[in-house]
Amino acid sequence: MNPGIDLQGTFIESLQGFGLPAGAAKAIWMPLPMLIVLVGSTVAVLIAVWMERKVSAAAQQRIGPEYIGPLGILAPLADGLKLVFKEDIIPAKADKWLFTFGPMIVVIPVFLSFLIVPFGENLLISDVGMGVFLWIALSSVVPIGLLMSGYASNNKYSLLGGLRATAQSLAYEIPLALAVMAIAMMSNSLSTVDIVQHQSGYGLLGWNVWRQPFGFVIFFIAALAECERTPFDLPEAEEELVAGYQTEYSGMKFALFYLGSYVNLTLSALLVSILYLGGWEAPIPVGLISSTFNISDTTPWLQVITGAIGILMTLLKTYALVFFIVLIRWTIPRVRIDQLLNLGWKFLLPVALANLLATAGLKLTFPAFFGG
Amino acid sequence: MNLAEGVQIVSFGILAAAVLISALGVVLLKNVVYSAFLLGGSFISMAGLYFLLNADFVAAAQVLVYVGAINVLILFAIMLVNKQEEYAVVKGAGVRQVATGLVCLGLFALLGTMVVSTPWAISSATPAGDSSIVTIGIHFFTDFLLPFELVSVLLLIALVGAIVLARREFVPENLSASGEDEALMLPERQREMVSSRDDN
Amino acid sequence: MLKFLKQVGDYTKDVVQSAKYIGQGLSVTFDHMRRRPVTVQYPYEKLIPSERFRGRIHYEFDKCISCEVCVRVCPINLPVVDWEFNKTTKKKELKHYSIDFGVCIFCGNCVEYCPTNCLSMTEEYELAVYERHELNYDSVALGRLPYKVTDDPMVTPMREFAYLPKGVMNPHNLPDGSKRAGKTPQEIVAETQSAQKVAAISEGSSEG
Repeated sequence: MNPGIDLQGTFIESLQGFGLPAGAAKAIWMPLPMLIVLVGSTVAVLIAVWMERKVSAAAQQRIGPEYIGPLGILAPLADGLKLVFKEDIIPAKADKWLFTFGPMIVVIPVFLSFLIVPFGENLLISDVGMGVFLWIALSSVVPIGLLMSGYASNNKYSLLGGLRATAQSLAYEIPLALAVMAIAMMSNSLSTVDIVQHQSGYGLLGWNVWRQPFGFVIFFIAALAECERTPFDLPEAEEELVAGYQTEYSGMKFALFYLGSYVNLTLSALLVSILYLGGWEAPIPVGLISSTFNISDTTPWLQVITGAIGILMTLLKTYALVFFIVLIRWTIPRVRIDQLLNLGWKFLLPVALANLLATAGLKLTFPAFFGG
Repeated sequence: MNLAEGVQIVSFGILAAAVLISALGVVLLKNVVYSAFLLGGSFISMAGLYFLLNADFVAAAQVLVYVGAINVLILFAIMLVNKQEEYAVVKGAGVRQVATGLVCLGLFALLGTMVVSTPWAISSATPAGDSSIVTIGIHFFTDFLLPFELVSVLLLIALVGAIVLARREFVPENLSASGEDEALMLPERQREMVSSRDDN
Repeated sequence: MLKFLKQVGDYTKDVVQSAKYIGQGLSVTFDHMRRRPVTVQYPYEKLIPSERFRGRIHYEFDKCISCEVCVRVCPINLPVVDWEFNKTTKKKELKHYSIDFGVCIFCGNCVEYCPTNCLSMTEEYELAVYERHELNYDSVALGRLPYKVTDDPMVTPMREFAYLPKGVMNPHNLPDGSKRAGKTPQEIVAETQSAQKVAAISEGSSEG
């Protein structure tokens, strides 16, 4: 495989060209990816919020945001600004410290998980060997924050919402992890880059959806439940629990919850597209086109184009999934809590286990097709 | 000392302090909920220490198992049984606390001298790093096969036990006794209630 | 064993069926997305009220004969008619007339029964005020010329759904002179009148 673009190496080299020592050049590089993650994920959230509003409006034959920027694209930004300037209220009998820490604990792991999201061969923050496992581990921290804010609000709705959120994410983490495990077994690695590379080469036909149709459905449902999206939005079911664990929050702390839930949504969509829809791979492989025109893999402009197409494809798949999730939101009514737990424990878990077993068997019988 | 070493030392200091402070908080704080949350903080700091030791799989597993499962379970239990209880003042509580503190200090001193005096056989092999998952897996299925299988059997037993404890039984015969509408009642009840009624 | 297999089969069938239903629901939602929004951008665009719209009541002081029919037919005797009998002219002399639109239910009975047609319905429906007593309109307020959507240069008037040409769903950018589906009341009146005329002529010719 060609190495593609190595941003870090080139950046450090060019800084060293100005006469900086290697250590200092690296120190200058280090905060850049973090900044990119923060800014990039926030922008991704703004786009997701805008899309949610527009698609919801279209599904209900409305127009949606219209006057704030072209096509209302600045509406989420205006929302955010409004939340920044709102009064930060802490209820009199709430637990001040836990009330403040809750939203932070919810948001930080979600942002951290962006470490492992690749947009191209070298276009990710760090290619950790355990990639997806890190995401699963980090997302298991979120319920603690939810419980914390639910408890600290000193409100029965908040507590119920927090408990529901925790029960829900505990129940759906297992099928999620099992679905991921089947993928990891096929690609012999947990690293997101390896998983995408395992799907590359055959364009649309090489994607994991065709090899793991049940795994895809399980992962998608479990990811929906992890993000607390409809039909699994019981923790904040407004008809029963006002707003669940967010009831007492306002201002910037509420904004953290809001941001966290949408970052989680985009992150889940990104991971679905990486694990099952070929990540940065275009439906027709770029390498095939370039080889038919006899262009070398190491041509600089080709590498730039490949990188751009990679980012574009990843975002396209992600937002197509977000669109689908919004469509689901306006189609399927909310499930009851017992239905939710029944679906998680009695349907998804056995099916995920059977899927894992079948994948293992198929891998042994057809090593060429299911990854040797 | 280059950049990496400096970062490592500073983060070690921060993580060690976090582990110690949150662990002390777990023991010393009166509020059970605070203790439970601080336990989570202690676990996460431990995971950070594992990261510093290049054992990233162990670190992630620590977060997943201890923070994501065990600590959440503890919190869940506390929140479901959130009973305010005033403890009666024990006579001579101060003496007891001092005694406990002395015992703890003695234990700490013993362990400390043991740690300092033991010649540790520190392996000079480079840590497995990213390939640690493979190494762990190979160990699980070769020389640690028996403990691994035993642990899985233990977990299975625990699972069955939990199901037996939580299972409800269908008790249809006492539905019409008080003349209540069947639709308004739960036709299930806990097993213990059945057995206790049999005793009478 | 077979019973268990049958259970599994039934369950699978259920799952497939529910997946099918969810798919149907999704396709309905998706289909809604290509329909045109029904939104009317209110302060800038307004719907033209229909012909029989019952809005704020208009009142002409000079036509009123203080007969109080409007008070009698009103379900809650709402209009306040303040008159005095002038003995020299031997006529009722109207001093004040008022209707409280905070209480009025816009049933239109007063308009229907007014013998001199001094009461009439307008197309005005924007009656928001800062205090409820401001809704108590006196004869001057009642006599104000009504606001018309089509006369406002700031507003793009929109036709309501029933007034659009056949097959058109979108009130925006209608061509000039496009007519609504079906016959207008004027046409119906003209037709019946001409038919009567024809009938009368034919009757006359048959007699004559």
